[in-house]
Amino acid sequence: MSLIEIEDLTFSYASQPDEPALRNLSCGIEQGSFVGITGLAEAGKSSFCRLVAGYIPHFFDGKFSGRVSVAGTDTSETTIGELAEKVGFVFENPFDQLTGASLTVLEEVAFALENMGLPREEIRRRAEESLAQVGMEDLADWHPQQLSGGQSQRLALASVLAAQPEVFVLDEPTSQLDPLGVEEVFDVVSNMHRGGYTVIVVSQDLDHLAVHANRLIVIHEGEIKWDGEPRQVLLKAAEARHPILIPDVLEISRSLRAAGRIPSSSPAPLTVEQAATELSNVEKQSSASEAIVMGKGSRRLPDSTPESSMEILFEDVHYDYPTGVSAIRGVSLSLSGGCVCIVGQNGAGKTTFARHLNGLLRPTRGRVLVRGKDTREHRVAELAREAGLAFQNPDDQLFRSTVEDEVRFGPDNLGMSPDEAKRLVASALDLMGLQAVREKKPYDLGLPERKRVATASVIAMDTPVVVLDEPTGGQDAEGIGLLGNLVGHLARQGKLVVVVTHDVKFASQHADRIIALYQGRVLLDDGPRTVFGQEEILARTHVEPPAVTRLGKLLGLDETMLSPEELLDIFAPG
Amino acid sequence: MAVVVGLTVIVFLLPNFLGPALIAVVLLGVAAVAGFLDRVAKLAAVVTVPFLIAVVIVQGLFYAGNETPLIAIGPVTFWEEGLSYGLLVFFRVLVVVCAVLLMVYSTHPKKMMVAFIDKGLSPKLAYVFMASLQFVPEMQRRAQAIIEAQQARGLDLKANLWRRFQALLAMMIPLLTGALISAETRSLALEARGFSRVGVRSHLIEVPDGAADRVIRWSMAAIVILVAIWRIVL
Repeated sequence: MSLIEIEDLTFSYASQPDEPALRNLSCGIEQGSFVGITGLAEAGKSSFCRLVAGYIPHFFDGKFSGRVSVAGTDTSETTIGELAEKVGFVFENPFDQLTGASLTVLEEVAFALENMGLPREEIRRRAEESLAQVGMEDLADWHPQQLSGGQSQRLALASVLAAQPEVFVLDEPTSQLDPLGVEEVFDVVSNMHRGGYTVIVVSQDLDHLAVHANRLIVIHEGEIKWDGEPRQVLLKAAEARHPILIPDVLEISRSLRAAGRIPSSSPAPLTVEQAATELSNVEKQSSASEAIVMGKGSRRLPDSTPESSMEILFEDVHYDYPTGVSAIRGVSLSLSGGCVCIVGQNGAGKTTFARHLNGLLRPTRGRVLVRGKDTREHRVAELAREAGLAFQNPDDQLFRSTVEDEVRFGPDNLGMSPDEAKRLVASALDLMGLQAVREKKPYDLGLPERKRVATASVIAMDTPVVVLDEPTGGQDAEGIGLLGNLVGHLARQGKLVVVVTHDVKFASQHADRIIALYQGRVLLDDGPRTVFGQEEILARTHVEPPAVTRLGKLLGLDETMLSPEELLDIFAPG
Repeated sequence: MAVVVGLTVIVFLLPNFLGPALIAVVLLGVAAVAGFLDRVAKLAAVVTVPFLIAVVIVQGLFYAGNETPLIAIGPVTFWEEGLSYGLLVFFRVLVVVCAVLLMVYSTHPKKMMVAFIDKGLSPKLAYVFMASLQFVPEMQRRAQAIIEAQQARGLDLKANLWRRFQALLAMMIPLLTGALISAETRSLALEARGFSRVGVRSHLIEVPDGAADRVIRWSMAAIVILVAIWRIVL
């Protein structure tokens, strides 16, 4: 018998009684396994997690049939508190899941142990041990609110670890983290797995998940679509063109197998290193520079538009926060049309930079001109006509009763005519794939869709400048596809699109120009091929070029690769 | 804590404002010795000064036992009894405020809660107290984020009245909804960490309750009783 057994389970939430979140699902999970779960947003991944931890049916009401047992206990016959001794849970939001009542990191970890009534010495020993397991022993005396997202998420892990459950369930633990935080969390989780724990991780980040998991499940519309060894599952999903974020290295390998260039018997690569080893035996059909010229390599070069049409001008901009932290230290540049991606580690000044684009922050030294207007002399509400800014967290702004109304908020504020507003709203809803839910309440949608609503509400303002802050965070394959189309569409309309992002793959596909920030200054500013070709310089601001670029480099190609298609043109043209 | 409760009872037993005034001065003296006079004084001033003005004016003009006129300006007479009663009320409140502030500033909040739980306070209530300490700065941070997000969508905070009313909605709804969303996660996380578990709890932090603490508690009780007897008998 497996450690976790789910038998013929169907569940619908009370709010949506006619749309089961899980349908006739059966699944067994063995002790000591590392199970990855992926699939589109709203596919039933979170419901699966809640089922294992007993939150369904004990916290979320609805129609429940079937049976779930964890270590021999039927979950419907116990309580969340009792199940918590067997199943630990880590949530998506790194901050909401802390108790909010601890003054130090150590106290936070001790919380569960205090509730268990353990002796003081035992509490201290176990809390310190758990912190050491997540590599945070040096931060024991910090206030939890001082932590970064990645640290906060590791603290949540340590708090769960301290109670020593058998199973760890992590529901999208890295979707709100920067690349460094993602690495930290996956490292800790795979250490736990090696230590004998059973681990279940839901994620869209298959580049990481597929490497660490020893079993991958794709959930689609409440059912298990594929279930097995990660490579096999990914190959099948890629074959079926199922919308999940197949790692580029695997996609390249699959195409070369289909073209007969690689024997189909060899195991498919999941990492850049494995792919490089595999490809080093395949004969090149053309050189990299030829492939780029042949293919869709004729990317637009960085702007050389005349000064008169300049959208945004930064003149020796400095910004110090009232706390004394210098976030921007002398940035001079001009931005005109096309898609400009801003990359760099957390704290490099990306978000501060974005807030200067519509006057939310004003330079403490130097000046910013938005389409000729000095941001120090205009109110934000006026500058909003020139530059729309979509923030990371949609829940900081959604407040109307339908999606359509919400998207209309911007156009209404700008005083557009009803006909004009209607047209812009319809177009924004189309672009963000929200037509089907336009009558719904924004908060009935999942987080990825809510985020698209917030983005649509900024697009509908039809501003010449559009700024998107981490638009792809937490999005599934469909959402990222929609955003890619959006950026292209806006750039073709002649707008300036500025995207602040950690998503280097997105940047390599859509940026006309990439600006890498480092400690409040511009580190690199050029086309994506030039910027991603400078791996060592980018490393200073903890930005890693996309997988396909690193693969090209490992293969010693004479040009920087930006897309799987370019690389494929080298090995299997046509 | 015992001292705070004791002082509160005493100041309400004392007949005129000189006693409470003296105690208030002593408390501020203690705050000065402990090194947080400025913080205690500032907050106490913010809370009590508007109260002082209001209570002295109202009582000075309308106190039921007014007999001796102090100043008369036209038809308005300011009475002496009212003034002294107003000062009495003010100093009573000042003592309570100073005593509570002194306790809050001198005590590690977590230790205080652990001590309360040891004395029988519900752990849930203690949690609410601790969480509220962090809740306020968290809400301020979110309110700021919401203002920025809505301004970026063209919301004008300096427009006409109707617009401003809309702006208030655009602020409050995300603030409350956001709080509810995090509350759902938090309540599950607390549940999963055995928060509603019945039975004995223990604490990482040890709060010693030594002989000195007991002496202070009992002597405070004794002083309160003495003052009460004095007031009843005399």
